[in-house]
Amino acid sequence: MARVIVRFENGDPERVIDVDLSKAPFQHDGRPGSILDILLANGVPLEHACGGSCACTTCHVIVKQGSDRLSEAEESEEDMLDKAPGLTPTSRLGCQAVLTDDDAEIVVVVPRFTINQSSGSHGG
Amino acid sequence: MAVERTATLVAVTDHGADTRSLFLDLPGGLDFRPGQFVSCLLPVDGERLTRPYSIASSPEHADRLELLLNLVPDGAGSQHLFDLPIGGTIQLTGPWGTFALDRAPDAETVFLADGTGIAPIRPMLHRAAATASRPLHLVWATTNPFWADELRAIDGLSVTIIAPSALEATVRARWVDADDDRSRHFFVCGVGDIVPRLRDLLRGSGYARRAVQYERW
Repeated sequence: MARVIVRFENGDPERVIDVDLSKAPFQHDGRPGSILDILLANGVPLEHACGGSCACTTCHVIVKQGSDRLSEAEESEEDMLDKAPGLTPTSRLGCQAVLTDDDAEIVVVVPRFTINQSSGSHGG
Repeated sequence: MAVERTATLVAVTDHGADTRSLFLDLPGGLDFRPGQFVSCLLPVDGERLTRPYSIASSPEHADRLELLLNLVPDGAGSQHLFDLPIGGTIQLTGPWGTFALDRAPDAETVFLADGTGIAPIRPMLHRAAATASRPLHLVWATTNPFWADELRAIDGLSVTIIAPSALEATVRARWVDADDDRSRHFFVCGVGDIVPRLRDLLRGSGYARRAVQYERW
């Protein structure tokens, strides 16, 4: 099992999510086994305005630990990240960064502006 | 942060069997840049699908949005929108996206649209033509050029319509092999692998990374 620890800039409580990567995709948006795929399937409403197709920056997350356990960023993702507000050296797009190792433990921070606060009242 | 809006379908125009324009009334309008998209939240099979659609109309007509829809085989989102009756409503958020043009670059500019990739390019062309001081070109690779008359009527824009299979070779012949000028800017939009192939062709031939903007659907 891989483990994703999710921290929130907005102060929401930390989440610890254990996943069996062999069962990906866990839902229908983003790359199978991506951070977006895992978070959405576990009730973390990460914004993803383009549906997880690398056409916006709304699923931007900051990887604090385990970045070497994620797929490498391709040119399309790098081009998008260039335009992301609050870009950091370890920023990734949640829809593109795929966990590659079933023993991985990664820590990601969800920036304040990345959480979809509109989805809660409408059932996600 | 996403703020949900409710839009009402007020008209449709069919461009053949599987392509349709949806005209949506959005009270209060939408402040968007030419090239941006809205994110539709579609109730399908008890779930809520998030599906992006480029805004095919111009910001000058902000209270009525036009979206261009391609009926995707087995595509639950596009089928839902094709089935939406006049008067039906859609929840959406936006505008989103950084593939946008506020004014024409100070350089010769080439727009490359593959199929329904013309949707975000169309308002970009109108804005570019209104602000351009350098030549503007459009290559639209399509077998169904339903906006050809409108686009050909844009002042200062040269329009080329070709078969989809000819797009890459046309770009190579006109803007890679023809000369050594690498000052041009490009805006590329389409569906699938053709978009990164054109990006790689142009950047690989010496155009600056930031001079080649693209959106792949």
